[in-house]
Amino acid sequence: MGKAVVLRVNGEEYELEVKPQETLLDVIRERLSLTGTKRGCETGDCGACTVIMNHKAVSSCLVLAVEADGAEIVTIEGLAKEGKLHPLQEAFVRHGAVQCGFCTPGMILSAKALLDENKNPTEEEIRRAISGNLCRCTGYTKIVEAIKACSGTL
Amino acid sequence: MEQYSVFGKPLPRIDAWEKVTGEARYLDDIFMPGMLYGKVLRSPHAHARIVRIDTQKAEALRGVRAVITHRDTPGVKFSFFPVFADKLPLCRDKVRYIGDEVAAVAAETAAIAEQALSLIEVEYDLLPAVTDLEEAMKPGAPLVHEDKEKNIAFEGHKSFGDIKKGFADSDYIFEDRYVTSKVAHCCMETHGCIASFDRLGKLTVMMPSQAPHTVRQEIARILDIPRSKVRIVVPAVGGGFGQRLVTDMKVPAAAILSRIARRPVKIVNTREDEFCTARTRYPYIVELKTGVRKDGRILARQARVLIDNGAYNDKGPATLNYAGECFAVLYNVPHVRYDGYGVYTNKQFGTAFRGFGNVQVTFATESQLDEIAEKLGMGPEEIRLKNANKPNELMSCGATVTSCGLVECIRETMKKSGWDEKRKMKTDLGNGWYRGIGMATMVHTGAGGRFYGYAATDTFTKISEDGCITVISPAPEIGQGGKMVVAQITAEVLGVDPSRITVINNDTDIIPYDLGAWGSRTSFVCGNAAKAAAESVKEEIFGAAAKMLQTTPGKLCARDEKIFIDEDPSKAVSFEEAAVYAVSNLGYPLSGKGRYTDPLAPQVGIDKKYGHHLPTFTFACHVVEVEVDSGTGEVKVVKVTAAQDTGRTINRHMAEGQIEGSILQGLGYAISEECVEDGGRMMNPTFADYKIQTAVDAPPYDVILIETDDPDGPFGAKGIGEPALVPLPAAVGNAVYHATGVRFKKLPLNQERVYFSLKKEKG
Ligand code: FES
Ligand code: FES
Repeated sequence: MGKAVVLRVNGEEYELEVKPQETLLDVIRERLSLTGTKRGCETGDCGACTVIMNHKAVSSCLVLAVEADGAEIVTIEGLAKEGKLHPLQEAFVRHGAVQCGFCTPGMILSAKALLDENKNPTEEEIRRAISGNLCRCTGYTKIVEAIKACSGTL
Repeated sequence: MEQYSVFGKPLPRIDAWEKVTGEARYLDDIFMPGMLYGKVLRSPHAHARIVRIDTQKAEALRGVRAVITHRDTPGVKFSFFPVFADKLPLCRDKVRYIGDEVAAVAAETAAIAEQALSLIEVEYDLLPAVTDLEEAMKPGAPLVHEDKEKNIAFEGHKSFGDIKKGFADSDYIFEDRYVTSKVAHCCMETHGCIASFDRLGKLTVMMPSQAPHTVRQEIARILDIPRSKVRIVVPAVGGGFGQRLVTDMKVPAAAILSRIARRPVKIVNTREDEFCTARTRYPYIVELKTGVRKDGRILARQARVLIDNGAYNDKGPATLNYAGECFAVLYNVPHVRYDGYGVYTNKQFGTAFRGFGNVQVTFATESQLDEIAEKLGMGPEEIRLKNANKPNELMSCGATVTSCGLVECIRETMKKSGWDEKRKMKTDLGNGWYRGIGMATMVHTGAGGRFYGYAATDTFTKISEDGCITVISPAPEIGQGGKMVVAQITAEVLGVDPSRITVINNDTDIIPYDLGAWGSRTSFVCGNAAKAAAESVKEEIFGAAAKMLQTTPGKLCARDEKIFIDEDPSKAVSFEEAAVYAVSNLGYPLSGKGRYTDPLAPQVGIDKKYGHHLPTFTFACHVVEVEVDSGTGEVKVVKVTAAQDTGRTINRHMAEGQIEGSILQGLGYAISEECVEDGGRMMNPTFADYKIQTAVDAPPYDVILIETDDPDGPFGAKGIGEPALVPLPAAVGNAVYHATGVRFKKLPLNQERVYFSLKKEKG
């Protein structure tokens, strides 16, 4: 009843047997134990589960694992390299953009997907890019500042 | 040289690294060997008698390891305040709201647990439900709790001065009625727990909590076991805002399931569970009567407050009481009367929520104050300045305001927002658009409260043989920065970088007893204890450094990772060298203990006369600018200027972050958020239908920290977590009034309400 899929997550290949109704979020969290990807709603409304799939930010709770077969996926665990934080992670720390941190992984990945495509976004473009990532703690100012600080530098 | 090298600086939080890398473990990220998945069967009816529960089919399902009903519980009623106890962990005879806990299961997978729930048969006998607060107060209304005579759950009354005389002396009297809505905390992490009993009968619960010791006592009470048999461990917490103070019944349910199954049991809310059952802000009706002199001085103020309590008591009595305290303190009104009633209804019940009753009452008082000012021909700022408290003012209610920056807050927001010009600008922008600017002020506690007869805590600090510092503090970390507050204060005292510091704050078997993160008390209470502990261990390390530098400890100073002779800073050792020296050459480890106690607390119980319940106050003034589209009813907030009396700021980024986050929550409360209920059912339990503010909605904020020096706070600091939300709804209402001339006395000012009101009033 399962279907075999191959996922490339943070540069590593995984061959898995997944059920038809299993979401990419389930697989990432429960099968691959990459719990940095958060579950906030499972209805596609909060952005806590954001990952980058084939260079686009997606809500992994809305993607079926079978649909992700062959995809290139980046989760928050894939950002820091050789003990060094990714510049966006650095900037979030430096600018005080992290409070409870639950929205942070999704936020950073949405920001990364934006900056990968558009090196110098306007503030409006930044806000639009993270408008699907809800944050209940920060009021967003410091998050936007952190992303701005990385514009043009990545 | 600046006075402080660490304190006040916008340094990176010590807990930020693990959060940006995804390494921080929240409850649902934890998987234990043998762990089962629990689910709770909830009532589909607002009010019904339970005739029969049959769990046999569920028990027979393969993979199900335990099924429980009220028969498996000790059947002890619970509430946060034992005297208001009214809730069984699992319902026995009756269900009282849609979502009431009836049974629970634990199974090998979440899917099996879900299936098992559907196999539990419950026969209900429907009862008439009462879901409207005022209906519930009428004689003959259905009783939510059949053992009570009426639906009034609790009352609170306060009276200072002579209210009759106050009104008699007044030139004008204003009477208005304000209604606030039900809103949800919306922590981005839903609530959950993992409970596991060991073979010796000790229960460990992992759960997001902002008051682990209190929760420990609550769980012990519900399960009827000694507190010593309960240990609470708190993982990373994805937001609190008051929701994680009082336990909810899934925790004892998970505990009982674990005891039966002899395995750890995890229960986690779905977002829909969270919206429908995780408790909300209390909706208030405030009937407000104010007497003023011609010159704008408020002489008398009377409020009748009705709280929609929902089906069970939780923090209702406390929010009622607390709102009354703030009501009596914001302005020094000589004659005050406050009468509050909590009323049972067959709906999801409320709990603590940032602002704690104060925001509801402030919506009324600060909206009405603008109407009073207008009638007297005064500006909103003028009437507020006229009545504002000054430092060291003794209030008619008996409280003394120590530090107080309210006047500065008002003046600064006016200056920074361009208040004077903007008040005079044309408000009609054409095409049905209007713009306006409004303000509101507030007072809130800056240090928790003495209500429980206890306001103290301890902290232990050690310096390891490698110079690393560990602080064992009960300061909860719910996102607000509790850990960093402790680290930054410790770092200032010891003259080191906060990155040298680890804070352990999450295990009731380790941390000192404390009441938790509420009332913006962490910085004040836990901060003071951390400072004392750091000073105590500083004496020890100075002892070592003095030997190394051949001087006396009294001559030393610590700063920038060095300990040096004050008069000759070239004579210095590094912090680390001194730590190593103590262990290797003197032969002892370094540790210190600090305590904060508030000697007044034991004398000021909740039932005692009001006066000094709150150790210190925080004041704020917010100015909000709006544009209103009468064609769609949209209220667009274009800017918020917020000045808050923060005492001495511990960390500028964190202080701003608290204020910015509060502002946006407050704006959501004012214009977009509402739990829509119909017959006791929540109709919009998703983020698609319950609109919290997004990055696109958020306006620019100008946050002004008014630094006062609190005489009792650590380095003059006081608590700031809650206050900035409090003035928002009134400030928005006042701005919309300025823009349109239409007064809103009901929250939220959502599109529908604004559209129809403008249409009615303006045609
Ligand atoms: S969990 Fe996927 S959007 Fe909320
Ligand atoms: S930091 Fe808490 S939700 Fe964003």
